[in-house]
Amino acid sequence: MIPDSGSEFIRQDDLILVTGAAGFVGLRVIHNLLERGYHRIRCFVRPSSSASEIVSLIGTGQFPGLHIYRGNLLSHEDCRRAVQDVAVVIHLAAGRGEKSVPDAFLNSVVTTRNLLDACADQQGIRRVVHVSSFAVYSNAEPGQRLLCESGEIEKHPELRGEAYCFAKTKQEEIARKMQVERKIPSVILRPGVVYGPGNLAISGRVGIDTFGVFLHMGGSNRIPLSYVDNCAEAVVLAALTPGIDGEIFNVVDDDLPTSREFLRNYKRNVKRFRSIRIPKAGSYLLCWLWERYSTWSEGQLPPVFNRRRWNSLWRKTTYSNQKIAQVLGWKQVVPTKAAMDHYFEACRAADHA
Amino acid sequence: MLKVAIIGCGKIADSHVEQILRIKGCEIVAVCDREPLMAQQCYERYPVKAFYSDALTMLREARPDVVHITTPPESHFALAKMALEEGSHVYVEKPFTLYERDARALIDLAESLGLKVTAGHDDQFTHVAREMRRLVHEGFLGTRVVHMESYYCYELRGAYANALLGDKNHWVRRLPGKLLQNVISHGVARIAEFLTSESPKVMVQASISPELQRRGEAEIVDELRVIISEESGTTAYFTFSSQLRPSLHSFHIYGDKGGVLLDHDQSTLVKLRGARFKSYAEKFLPPLILAKQYSGNFLRNVTVFLKRNFHMKSGMKYLIESFYRSIELGIPPPIPYREILLVARIMDAIFEQTGTRPGEERLNVFANSRS
Repeated sequence: MIPDSGSEFIRQDDLILVTGAAGFVGLRVIHNLLERGYHRIRCFVRPSSSASEIVSLIGTGQFPGLHIYRGNLLSHEDCRRAVQDVAVVIHLAAGRGEKSVPDAFLNSVVTTRNLLDACADQQGIRRVVHVSSFAVYSNAEPGQRLLCESGEIEKHPELRGEAYCFAKTKQEEIARKMQVERKIPSVILRPGVVYGPGNLAISGRVGIDTFGVFLHMGGSNRIPLSYVDNCAEAVVLAALTPGIDGEIFNVVDDDLPTSREFLRNYKRNVKRFRSIRIPKAGSYLLCWLWERYSTWSEGQLPPVFNRRRWNSLWRKTTYSNQKIAQVLGWKQVVPTKAAMDHYFEACRAADHA
Repeated sequence: MLKVAIIGCGKIADSHVEQILRIKGCEIVAVCDREPLMAQQCYERYPVKAFYSDALTMLREARPDVVHITTPPESHFALAKMALEEGSHVYVEKPFTLYERDARALIDLAESLGLKVTAGHDDQFTHVAREMRRLVHEGFLGTRVVHMESYYCYELRGAYANALLGDKNHWVRRLPGKLLQNVISHGVARIAEFLTSESPKVMVQASISPELQRRGEAEIVDELRVIISEESGTTAYFTFSSQLRPSLHSFHIYGDKGGVLLDHDQSTLVKLRGARFKSYAEKFLPPLILAKQYSGNFLRNVTVFLKRNFHMKSGMKYLIESFYRSIELGIPPPIPYREILLVARIMDAIFEQTGTRPGEERLNVFANSRS
C-alpha cells in the first residue's frame, strides 16, 4: 500500500468514524488509515470491548488523533455524538446473533438505522461505507456461474435458516432505502470470506463439523476468500474515493483456492483431522431432506440446512473482483499465497496455545 | 379461534411464536415492540397478521384473547397489568415480576376481572418433568416429600456474558436481583411446586466467583446456595453456579419411600427405590436396574423424537397449550397461583439476603425486546 497524500474529497485531517473498530476488520482498517496519514480517527467500540490493540496504539503517543469512543449503537444519543464533526463513516459493526435472528437483527439493522438517522441529521458527512457480505446473494439464478455485484439478492432471507443472512440482507435494504430517502452518500461493500489472524475458523463454504466429523462440502468450488488486509484496503478505498455514491462492490481476492486445495493445505500446515467428502449431489440431497424433515416435524430440527443455503454456500460459482479493481483501483496488498501462510501460521499458534 | 398477541420481539419471542404456531385453534393476530423494526422483522418472518410499536394501541385494535409478555423483566408488571385491564389473559415470561407484591397484584387483578395469568416456567412441562409429576402424585415417593435438590447452572460465556460483564449499564444489572433474577426462577419453581407451606424459611450463601472477581466484577453474584425449609420438615437445596461443571440443570426429589432424579439437559428420569437389597446384592443389582432405566430413557427419547414431539421448547408448547385450554374450558390454569407467588416470595427472600437488591424503586417501564 502506498502512503496517501489525501485528496480533495477526503483530506487527511478530516475526522473518520469507524464502528466495530476493535473488531477483526476494524483494526486493520485503522492501521490502513493511519498508514495513509489519516490520523483523526474516532474508534467506536462497545462498552464491553477491551479495545486493547487500539489502547496500545494510542499508548505509543504517535497518534494523537486516534480516539476511542465507547458507546452503544442502539442508543440514538450515542450515535448522534459519534457522528459529530465526522466526514466519513466506516460502518463495520454488526451482530452475528449466533442462532438468534432477533439478536442479529437488533445489532445489525436497528443499529444501522440509528447510525444513519444520526448521519442524516449531521451536516458535512461525505461518505458512509457499509460493510455487507456475500451472504446477501441468493446465488440461485439458473445458469449463473459468475457471482458479480448485479447478482440476485436473497428474496426470502427468513427461509435461509441463517440469522446472519437475514440481518445482513435487511441491513443492506435499510441502508439503500435511507441513502435515497435521507440523501446519505453511501457505498456498499460485500466481502466474501474474510480470513486471517483473528478469524481462524474454517469457512462453512469448505465444510461443516456439525456432526462430529468434518463433512467436506466445497469440493472443487473456489472459496471467495478475502484476506483481512486486502479487505481493509477495499474498505478504505471505498471511503476515500470520490464519485462512487450508490455503488456496490464485491471484495474478493485473486488466485482463489478450491475448497479441496484449502482443506488439503490446512491439514498439511495446521493439523490433520478426518474429513469425509460429500459430492454435490449428496450435499444437495442432504439439504433437501433436512429442509423437508424440518417442515414436516414443525421445526423439531431447525431448518439450518436447506436448498437456499446450498445455493449460497455450495453451488459451483466463480467470483469477480473486476469492478472494485477498475473503479477503486483496488489491488491485493497481500498475495493469496502469503495470506494463506499468515493464516496457517496463526492457526498453528492458536492450536498450540 | 383464540386470538394471540405478543409484546416484545426479541430472542425469546421467536420461541413463543414457533410454539404457538404448532397449536391448533389459535392465531397470532399481532406482535408489538417499542422498536418498530423489531416488531416488523417478527411480522415478516412468521404468519402474523399485524405489528405495532405501541402496546396499548395493539391491545385496543387487535383485541387479543391472550397476550404473551416477552419483554425484559422490569416491564412485565406494567404490561401484564395493561393487558389484563384491556381484557386479555396473560402469559408472562419468567421471571413473572420483579417483586412478590407485584405478582400478587397481577393475580388479584386477573381474578377480579375473571381472567387468567400464567408464568413462563416451561421447564416444568417437558416430557420428563410431567412424568416426574405423575410419579410423585401416584405416591412413588411415599407419604411426603422429605428433601429436594435443584441445580440450575449458567455458564457465563459467549456474547451475552461478554456484554453483561463488560457493560456496567447492561439491562440485567438494572434488575433488582441482577443476573440471579433473570435466570433462577426455573430452578426455584421446581422446588416451589412441592412445598406445602406459604412461607418457608430461606437461608442464603451467595458470592462472586473467583473467576469473575479476576475479571474485575464486583456486582454480579454468580454463586448461590440456598437452603429452604418448612415447618413440616421438608427441606430443599437450591444451587446456582456459573463455575460448576457439568453445568447442571437437574432436580432430585426424595420422599420417605423413594426418590426421583430428573436431568433436564439429558431428558432422563431415574427412579430410586427406597429399600435395599441384602448383602452383596446391593452392590450388583442396583447398577443393573439403573442401566435398564437409562436404556428406557434412551428408548423413550428416541420414540418421542420419532413422533415429532421432542422440540427444544416442547415444554413451552405444552404449557401454552394447557394455558389456552384452561381459558377455553374455564378450568384452573396449569401453574397454580400459589406456586407463582411462592416462587416470587422465595426469590424476594434470596435477593434480600444476597444484597443484590439495593432498593425497591420502580424502574422505568418500557416494552422492548429481550435480546
